[in-house]
Amino acid sequence: MTELIKEQHLLDSLTSAFKIKGRVIRDRRVEVFADKKMVSGILLFAKKQLGFIHLAHMTCIDWIDENKFELIYTIWSPIEKIHLFVKTKIERENPEMENIDSIWDQANTYEREIREMFGIQFPGLIGEQDFALEDWDEMPPMRKDFDTKKYALETYYQRPGREDAKDVRETISERSGTKVPDFAKKYSREK
Amino acid sequence: MIREKETTLYLGPQHPGITGNMMVKLKVQGDTVVKATTHVGYLHRAFEKLIEQRNWLNAFTLLCRFCVPEPDPMELTYARAVEELDNREVPERAQYIRVIVMELARLQSFMLWYAGQAGSAGLYTLGQWSVGDRNYILDLFEELTGGRIYHMYIWPGGVRRDVTDTWKDKVLKTMDYLEKRQDDYNQLMFDNTIFQKRAKGVGIVPKDKAIEWGVVGPPLRGVGIKSDVRIDEPYEVYDKLDFEVPTAEGGDIWARALVRKEEFRQSISIIRQAIEKMPKGDYYNKVPNPMKWVVPEGQAWAKTESVRGEIGFYVVSNGTNKPYRVHAKGAAYTHGVTVLEKILPGQNIADISFIMNSLGVCPPEIER
Amino acid sequence: MINDKDSQKIVDYIQNFARKQSLFVMAYGTGCGAIEIPATMTSRYDAERFGIRGAATPRQADVLLITGYLATKTLKRVIRVYEQMQEPKYVIGFGSCTINGGMYFDSYNTINALEQYIPVDVYINGCMPRPESVISGFVKLQELIQQGKADNGKKYRENLEWYRTNQKKIIKNWKMPDYNW
Ligand code: SF4
Repeated sequence: MTELIKEQHLLDSLTSAFKIKGRVIRDRRVEVFADKKMVSGILLFAKKQLGFIHLAHMTCIDWIDENKFELIYTIWSPIEKIHLFVKTKIERENPEMENIDSIWDQANTYEREIREMFGIQFPGLIGEQDFALEDWDEMPPMRKDFDTKKYALETYYQRPGREDAKDVRETISERSGTKVPDFAKKYSREK
Repeated sequence: MIREKETTLYLGPQHPGITGNMMVKLKVQGDTVVKATTHVGYLHRAFEKLIEQRNWLNAFTLLCRFCVPEPDPMELTYARAVEELDNREVPERAQYIRVIVMELARLQSFMLWYAGQAGSAGLYTLGQWSVGDRNYILDLFEELTGGRIYHMYIWPGGVRRDVTDTWKDKVLKTMDYLEKRQDDYNQLMFDNTIFQKRAKGVGIVPKDKAIEWGVVGPPLRGVGIKSDVRIDEPYEVYDKLDFEVPTAEGGDIWARALVRKEEFRQSISIIRQAIEKMPKGDYYNKVPNPMKWVVPEGQAWAKTESVRGEIGFYVVSNGTNKPYRVHAKGAAYTHGVTVLEKILPGQNIADISFIMNSLGVCPPEIER
Repeated sequence: MINDKDSQKIVDYIQNFARKQSLFVMAYGTGCGAIEIPATMTSRYDAERFGIRGAATPRQADVLLITGYLATKTLKRVIRVYEQMQEPKYVIGFGSCTINGGMYFDSYNTINALEQYIPVDVYINGCMPRPESVISGFVKLQELIQQGKADNGKKYRENLEWYRTNQKKIIKNWKMPDYNW
């Protein structure tokens, strides 16, 4: 573990400053799990004190079985060359998360997208309600319980002929009257 | 001074100067932009949702369409994230092939940039030259992968097909040709007074704000900050190759153009080195049955360098044959929204498409 | 003499001949196929040999090239663009996305068959079509024009009701000026 000194040191300084758990994933990757309320504090601390000045990305995962949303903030320190993941889980009902676009201006874009795609509210977020969609009145589409195929089938005209393209090999063999060779059968998508 | 009334102006989505299908809503006073708001989503086709419906390898057909001008970094980044989850080794030969493919992709994207950047300044000859020459690179891709634009060539565990010696020779020949041609491009572009006058001092990204706004790639190197994923977090065999990361001062369009001009050279040199050093051996660490391949549970983040800057993929697996969540962040995601909105005020309307081209705004990458 | 049938034929022939030799293509990249358009227009494939070249605004364009998938947000703009174009106007559907949805058949935000919303003259299949097939699609369109079969502008005008119902099914917030020809 000698190579991971830098990472371990970072983790220690974070866990001593806040009461959080975390781990070193591998070289250049450290993650911490924080409570919803502490996230902005950790991010601000990491940015101002530890040199994590670049917000590399921010995303949301819908853990529908747990009934939780997981928010992940990935920040990067150009000096230490480490990625720090700050992860937090929030409730799926009336989800709300702190707005961090005062820390990074660019977070505004991510938050607008997450608000639209997952329905998470960020109080005080400036910007239009619509990001990529327009006049969307269904459930936020990136949630796991939104069935995009069903919606597409119901909304858009389907040109006939698509359904027999399920397995190309079988369709071709049906049309040409030949048999699917055995070695090809094991790649069939139907089973 | 006469105060002019503020007018609202919609630039796009149908506008020949916009770099793709997006809209910039402007508040203008006379010819000067007062406030800019970008509207994206004209190309939103729900990639991330669709990838969740496909299996791990089928996702590749969607992935390369994330950003049209340069599809290969997307494949590589996703493949690297999946490899990390699956602990899959990549043979060294495959790593060299990947580097060559990535640099070829950079080159063809630079040539599109030459055309776009010059075209938005009214220099149409350069576009005819560089886009015409770009076909030589696409021919190489076609021979290697079967596709001109989309390749689906890089897979978890390696690449799909081996390279042949004749292909390598062709690559070297093309590199010689492009090296010569780049002098012509540069003469048309950098020696041109119109271009110099329009590029210098326009579209300035302030150095102290750059990282905060999420500027990456050539625009960041254009303000004098040396940052490149290939050096910061070397992937594949970039640490075994000898290349420079150019920087320039000023943060304007001119500085970004200088950076790209030099990177073009570096890419050619990287390809030459990689072809020379490529070892013999395996090119693919085979994935079991692509239809039923299960990737162990976990989360991984991988990033690579594209022409526009860093590209990152966050891939989550819940231990099934389908990705649970894939999130892609391209450089244009910040360049096209935050950065553009911040630097447009104060600029002329005529310079907008010029600035967009130099920032590398790629709408399909923003809304996905 | 001027009203006699045969001379009308000659006039039509000349008119169609002239039309087919100068196709001004609307510069609107609606999908990822747009990346092959520069290649088609520039030196190697040089579509200008066939009289195909770009036009910046809908009023000056003859051909609307739908280069791939159409998000519903774009569909609204495409309809607007199409209605502003002057007749005779032609539409080319470019890529399998316009034909049956292509790889986005199950996406909640892209339409699956273009001719339900605006009339299409020629489809070019492929994902994405190569410049050669783009040119062959244009040549096919030229044939249709020469034969006088490409009159979809009229078809759209006459079946406006049907198209409008289809369009409004997808575009929920129809806030567009009604175009009168
Ligand atoms: S047909 Fe293929 S290339 Fe064309 S828009 Fe659709 S996905 Fe893109």
